[in-house]
Amino acid sequence: MTPLSASPPVHAGEHAAPVADWVRIEDLYTNPYPIYRRLREEAPVAWVPSVGRYLVTRYADCHWIEQDAETFSANEDGSLMKRAMGHSMLRKDDPEHQVDRAAYGPVLRPKAIKETWTAIFEKNAEKYLDAFEAQGSGADLHLGFAAPFAAENLREIMGFRNATKDDMQRWSQTMIDGTGNYADDPEVWAKSAASSAEVDAAIDELVPVLRADPDATLLSAVVGAGLPLEAIRANMKMTIGGGLNEPRDVLGTAAWALLSSPGQLAQVLADPALWATAFEEAVRWVAPIGMYPRQTTREVALGGATLPRGARIGVVLGAANRDPEQFDDPETYNINREKKPHLAFGGGAHFCAGTWVARTSVANVALPRLFERFPQLRLADRPAREGGWVFRGMLELPVAWN
Amino acid sequence: MPSITYFQPDGTHTTLDVDPATSVMRAAVNAGVPGIIGECGGQAMCATCHVYVRPESLSGLPEPSEDEEEMLDCTAAPRHPARSRLGCQIACGEADALAVDVPTDQV
Repeated sequence: MTPLSASPPVHAGEHAAPVADWVRIEDLYTNPYPIYRRLREEAPVAWVPSVGRYLVTRYADCHWIEQDAETFSANEDGSLMKRAMGHSMLRKDDPEHQVDRAAYGPVLRPKAIKETWTAIFEKNAEKYLDAFEAQGSGADLHLGFAAPFAAENLREIMGFRNATKDDMQRWSQTMIDGTGNYADDPEVWAKSAASSAEVDAAIDELVPVLRADPDATLLSAVVGAGLPLEAIRANMKMTIGGGLNEPRDVLGTAAWALLSSPGQLAQVLADPALWATAFEEAVRWVAPIGMYPRQTTREVALGGATLPRGARIGVVLGAANRDPEQFDDPETYNINREKKPHLAFGGGAHFCAGTWVARTSVANVALPRLFERFPQLRLADRPAREGGWVFRGMLELPVAWN
Repeated sequence: MPSITYFQPDGTHTTLDVDPATSVMRAAVNAGVPGIIGECGGQAMCATCHVYVRPESLSGLPEPSEDEEEMLDCTAAPRHPARSRLGCQIACGEADALAVDVPTDQV
């Protein structure tokens, strides 16, 4: 394991990126947005020692990186994600990336969602709303509904018939923790490795079954596409890590934002076409994946600084999505704002493969069903809590109903 | 060199000289033509490079693939039964020129 250096990979020219030594990880976790505002204004491409990366915070610069995959490689040296999950498509560049991506085939695309998955999202919404209602008024919407709903949807799409939604949640969280284990905590690695081994065992059991009898699931698609076992394992782990917390978190964020703004909620309830708008504004406002890594393949000028070859970058989507150069009054959740593209799903070759699954399961199914089930839904007295910056979402969302 | 002309909803237009194989989306994004976003970089996954091909340019184009077909049902502006295409899936090819209307919305 290469330890992160505490100083930038030497570049002491007049265009060296400024050093933002005032940024602390615990502050980013609590509320990154004031930090992002200051970085965008003072040092839009900054070396941040606490994170061991150059953080890029302006919309235009993040967008630029996404469009130039030759200069800004996804195949990062010393990637913790590779250690935790294996080498998935998320850390590959084209053409290698494209081979893995193509193997996902039509499974996550709109037609399959319409024909196969929407009915499953509807079934799971009813099932987990029943369970949530049984917990009684005052229950936590985040853990009580959003999490099991997202986990069970993902389990069924991926085809883990030999696992439970609780396995999916444990696998996802422990491997994500490994991906973010910059402190090199051995206990975190042990849990991540245990989950990784469980996923391998589950896949090994299913491969011959799906080879003999293919179905509509993602596992079946990658087996049918002839992807090598190592690539199947890595990509399934990446998808477990990247396909559960994100729909869960946008569901919680959107519900919280609407419950905090009764005028906007009334507007959406009067015009169901606005659920899609409420969803899109929620991912703009609090991007569930707030930062992802890239590494430069050559010296490059960006945001007024010159970055050396091999520079480790954090593309901060959470900051780009609140750049006042792109969005008026960016810190406010506002479904009536001028429609503009945001970066929450990333861009270019790595554009989120689960975009349409998230839009359909959350905006078309979960949110409307939730507010239909509880017409008087409101925030409970116990305050809601959110946290995170690499991944950000609700930690607890207590709600009340009559 | 063939050319692509983009007509904007406000009546203005831009004409770009392009390589025959360069897609309508890629040419527009590289030149900064407004209203063509191309979020997914050309894999027919995001529907943000939707264009209405002008009738005189339709004949030389290949039929939409299954991927393009399903994505045309996900566009922000209404789909036109004959003229709607994803800019990332079409290029001039053999034609001397292509003319497209840029929709009012992509997101």
